[in-house]
Amino acid sequence: MNKSGETILSVENLFVSYGHVEALKGVSLEVKRGEIVVLVGSNGAGKTSIMETILGVNQTRKGRIIFEGREITNLSSDKIVRSGIFLVPEGRGVFSSMSVLDNLLLGAHHNLKNAKEKTAYVYELFPVLGQRRNQIAGTLSGGERQMLSIARALMSNPKMIMVDEPSIGLAPKIVNDIFKILQNLNKEGYAILLSEQNVYKALKLADRGYVLETGSVVLDGTSEGLLHNTDIRKAYLGA
Amino acid sequence: MAVFLAQIVNGISLGSVYVLLVTGFNLLLLVAMIIHYSFPIVVVFSMYISWIVLGLTGGNMFLGLSAGIVSAVLINILTAPMFQHIMKKRGDVDINSTMVLSMGIGMIITDFLSHSVNSGFPIAFPDSLTGRGEPAFIRLGVISMSRGDMLSLTLGIIFVLGLFWILYKTRAGRAFRAIAEDPNGAKLVGIPILKTGLQSYALTGLLGGVSAVAMSILLGSASPGLGDQLGRKVLAVSIIAGLGNLKGGLIVGISLGILEALVQGYWSGTWSNSIAFVVMLIAILVKPKGIFGMKL
Ligand SMILES: Nc1ncnc2c1ncn2[C@@H]1O[C@H](COP(=O)(O)OP(=O)(O)OP(=O)(O)O)[C@@H](O)[C@H]1O
Ligand SMILES: [Mg+2]
Repeated sequence: MNKSGETILSVENLFVSYGHVEALKGVSLEVKRGEIVVLVGSNGAGKTSIMETILGVNQTRKGRIIFEGREITNLSSDKIVRSGIFLVPEGRGVFSSMSVLDNLLLGAHHNLKNAKEKTAYVYELFPVLGQRRNQIAGTLSGGERQMLSIARALMSNPKMIMVDEPSIGLAPKIVNDIFKILQNLNKEGYAILLSEQNVYKALKLADRGYVLETGSVVLDGTSEGLLHNTDIRKAYLGA
Repeated sequence: MAVFLAQIVNGISLGSVYVLLVTGFNLLLLVAMIIHYSFPIVVVFSMYISWIVLGLTGGNMFLGLSAGIVSAVLINILTAPMFQHIMKKRGDVDINSTMVLSMGIGMIITDFLSHSVNSGFPIAFPDSLTGRGEPAFIRLGVISMSRGDMLSLTLGIIFVLGLFWILYKTRAGRAFRAIAEDPNGAKLVGIPILKTGLQSYALTGLLGGVSAVAMSILLGSASPGLGDQLGRKVLAVSIIAGLGNLKGGLIVGISLGILEALVQGYWSGTWSNSIAFVVMLIAILVKPKGIFGMKL
């Protein structure tokens, strides 16, 4: 896959506040077609805020978001989902009272055409979801919920998937499985914007990364470069 | 035994009306985040519209009943902007303020009905609609049902089934349930919240209209105070089943209908409301969060 290709998402000088709290202070970043880009930063750095703002959940105070050449700044979330962006939220965001199948179909809410084919496709990727299609999502394990949340994203025909801290609360083995899944999806052509506190694993997986501190990008570069950066090694890799 | 069976059937008719009303109330609560206490008052208003149109058209059933249904849908959609304004800001607004708005709407309607329609006297629907005074429509052993009872029971059952089919088998129903469980999460998966809220208004309006038809046939009359009385019952049923619990509302709604019918059959109709509330009071003391659990 050609990763030096065209830009699919570009965020320019983004400012977002919640009341008086300034969460993002002029963030700029880019995702290219076929790339995995990781946002690294400690609690409260602004990772979720960036993703939710891209998805149209938060209003921007300043700045622009461009997806596939079209400005999507401050569009409503349903329009942004239609345009091909989907979020796998922090904490999975599955609907616990609803069945696995209902959860999947919610991902395709804006386009239920070919829903059958799409569910067949995700059941193939995640056989466990196929076996439990009629089970209530609240009864799934943490790892299964994360799979459901990723599968639900796939149901939406996304071009870019944002995955917010997928490793939270999962055993190391399951984290490896999830990262493997993300890698495979990326190979199939999905662009991925990932946020992680598991910096080492995330940089190993990603092509490039941005380091966030209190709402600003303080460093960015290729994963290779960031893995060898002394500041990063000190702050996030315990070296 | 004869009385028992007959009253069970009557109770199911009455209960299916309660179920329609409670489900409409619950949907508004869950999807649009409105405590629409006055929803049943709107329904009674639609009964009055039916009655007025029946009078104007010389008893044209089709026009009369359609007018009732259309008016229920219209009122729901016309009042929507006020509630939507609150919905948009639901982050900052207390859901209780929607109840004040709803009560205001209810009070205006009740006042209007008691001053301006039929000089405030109760209205009665023609026998040609209710089937009163006709020989029993069907007789199954000891059970006999009038044409009106039969019709309202059929309407109730069809619409309750249809409603639950919409909720559990359709795209819109899935979106309703998703918003009900987690409005923010629903937004993240791309469900248009305001538009879906509006759909729930239209659907509950239709439900209200059908309830109005069923009640016109079943009760055969209405008064300005009927809406308030039903409003209290619907709120109570919803809370006792577990606020916002759709399946719970179905069961408790039917049970309330049967309970009232049994009291009427064995004791006295004038006590059925009080007894119903005593039973509900006991239920809420035993299960403060509702028999089937809150869904809010
Ligand atoms: N709804 C909100 N209201 C007020 N402040 C908020 C809100 N959401 C986030 N913030 C603030 O914005 C800042 C960025 O938060 P954000 O959730 O984006 O960080 P994060 O990098 O995702 O952190 P974490 O790793 O803990 O998930 C924090 O200071 C947070 O307190
Ligand atoms: Mg976060």
